[in-house]
Amino acid sequence: MNVKHLAGVALFACLVASCATSTNESDDTSDSGDSEGPVTLRFNSLAFQEPTIEASKAIVDAWNAEHPDIQVEYVQGSWDSVHDQLVTQLQTGKAPDIIHDESADISGFARQGYLADLSPYLSDEVKDAVPEGVWDAVTVDDKVIAAPTLLQSYMVFANTDLLQQAGVDIPAGETWAWDDFQAAAAKATTDDTYGVAWGLAEPTATVTSLGMNFGATFFDGEGDDADITVGDPELALPARIHEMTYDDQSIDPTSLTLSGSDALPGFLHGKYAMTVQGSYVAQQLVQDAPEDFHWAVLPPLSAESAAQAANPQTLSVPAESPHVEEAAEFIDYFMAAQNLAKVAEGDWLIPASSEASDAVAADTGGDNGWNEILNSGEYLTKAPFQSVTNYPQWDDQIATPALQKYFADEISLDELQAELTDGWADVSGG
Amino acid sequence: MSVRAHPTRTRSLQYVALAGYLIFLGFPLLWMLSTAFKSSQELADITPRLIPSDPILDNFGDAIDRADLVHAGANSLQVALATTVLVIAMTLPAAYGLVRYKTWLRPVTLSWILIGQVFPVILVAIPLFLILDQFSLTDSLVGLTIVHAVYALPFGLWMLQGYITAIPRDVEEAGAVDGAGRLRILVSIILPLLRPGVVATALFTFIASWNEFFFALVLIQDPDKYTLPRTLVRFVGASDQVQLGPLAAGALLATLPSLVFFLLIQRRLTAGLLSGAVKG
Repeated sequence: MNVKHLAGVALFACLVASCATSTNESDDTSDSGDSEGPVTLRFNSLAFQEPTIEASKAIVDAWNAEHPDIQVEYVQGSWDSVHDQLVTQLQTGKAPDIIHDESADISGFARQGYLADLSPYLSDEVKDAVPEGVWDAVTVDDKVIAAPTLLQSYMVFANTDLLQQAGVDIPAGETWAWDDFQAAAAKATTDDTYGVAWGLAEPTATVTSLGMNFGATFFDGEGDDADITVGDPELALPARIHEMTYDDQSIDPTSLTLSGSDALPGFLHGKYAMTVQGSYVAQQLVQDAPEDFHWAVLPPLSAESAAQAANPQTLSVPAESPHVEEAAEFIDYFMAAQNLAKVAEGDWLIPASSEASDAVAADTGGDNGWNEILNSGEYLTKAPFQSVTNYPQWDDQIATPALQKYFADEISLDELQAELTDGWADVSGG
Repeated sequence: MSVRAHPTRTRSLQYVALAGYLIFLGFPLLWMLSTAFKSSQELADITPRLIPSDPILDNFGDAIDRADLVHAGANSLQVALATTVLVIAMTLPAAYGLVRYKTWLRPVTLSWILIGQVFPVILVAIPLFLILDQFSLTDSLVGLTIVHAVYALPFGLWMLQGYITAIPRDVEEAGAVDGAGRLRILVSIILPLLRPGVVATALFTFIASWNEFFFALVLIQDPDKYTLPRTLVRFVGASDQVQLGPLAAGALLATLPSLVFFLLIQRRLTAGLLSGAVKG
């Protein structure tokens, strides 16, 4: 055996040995749940912006310092992969003790019985601080399957210079009527500028959530036993967007094919007077907008009401966790107003608790759109589609392509109505 | 004159086509390189530029610090190298046996290997997780290496099989006539001739393991054992939010080792070793 062969064998031996060492390390740190000593809980956090990650880690550090018998290990997860990860982990009993997700996703796992009921463990302060409509969004079969932490709403962001040049008064009320929004968009549209950019490449979430402004419910019933209704209230928002795009020509039709973030560069460069985006976009504007760019977040849009779907970020505990009580205790601690406020400020989201919302308002002074964003939180409530088992399939396979065709002016409103209704019969087996 | 002009024009067109193809293949890498040096303000510019107007290095610092790229890179390297060694060690004798010993087992084995490839990974994820858990191989780089090797084996086997088939039996028989035993023939004649095949298989196996995301996501929970693709995903947020600068910088750094690996062994990917090995 020559030197090269020896080196090859040695390399392989080293690799196997180093991998084996990793396995042993894993065994040493795992927590059986029955052993003496402190309980260790794994917290899979999906905090995204750096300040939120730091705030979440600071909460964990503070908890660990105050609770030597219950130690929490912070693990950084990702929104992009959390669903696939949970499918495997929950089915194999290896899920983290504290799961960070969102109501729309975690509810499916809850209906399969994977999540613990947190209601016996959460304190009255936490229960009282979160609005009833938001609790409804995390209640499945009468069980509170998660604590709601942060929410987003759809807001209108405005280039105030362009609006003022067009003679549009910047609205300052609690809400802004859709008719006024449509009129402002038309007024701000010129040869060089569109009134609105609206990134609707994936339109269903926007239409089902913001459609609640017009009384849209889409679904009646829960779980597998749900029927669809696509009537005037459900078609009102798509029809309004279509009208603004093709009749008023105040929405850039190209923007309808973009994602929300793809529409932002045009907004930042004065191509659009307004854009409809998730509230978190304010963070990007603060970070990326040129100094001479003047912008504002306008009051939430309103027709019959300003209601939007509450799809809060959530903290849950797997039913199989040997430490449900301890994990719920940590969640209760995490939900304290000052903690939630810090986490919300980093990701520019609305805290689910009213006290935390007040704390954010105090910390930020309501600047950079925080006032309007926080105010919109009061209109967030559970939407019927959130309780429907086959909704994700209807969204992907039926509603998204049908709405895309309608917004591209390829089908009529009647055809849209037929596609949405008949498509539901296909995916629900009805 | 026209006879000479035609080949020149054809050759020129070939070079133009080749250049176009290279740009097509290389442009995403170039764009990633460009993005890695852009600030978030420049990334939000309505007129994207290939050459950053004000290049910055902050994205690299962000990627290295926040995603712990160095540690994740070391984990990826361990897994990819061990997978490559395992796959070559197993596919080489298996492919030789399948090609040279033509029994009824050959078509059965090859069909079985192909059938195994048609199932989507998500389908086997849960059973695989449960099996590995029985042996305490979840959340372990050894377990991940085994899974990567199992998934790379069929492709490696098919690839090496093709290379071995191309080696004429006459070469082995000539060795036997000269008095070489079976082992001697394998080590001294077949292996050197197979080098380009082994190198190509190793390269594909290494890159497949280096880039693999799904099993790393499902099997590894301890951040100390994250591989590069697993750690880079942290720059992707909810509702199509992406921290593009750090993601591009991290992806660029993650691409470098496999490029270096390729550069190191690509000269071994030479064909034509058999030229003249057999007369006529």
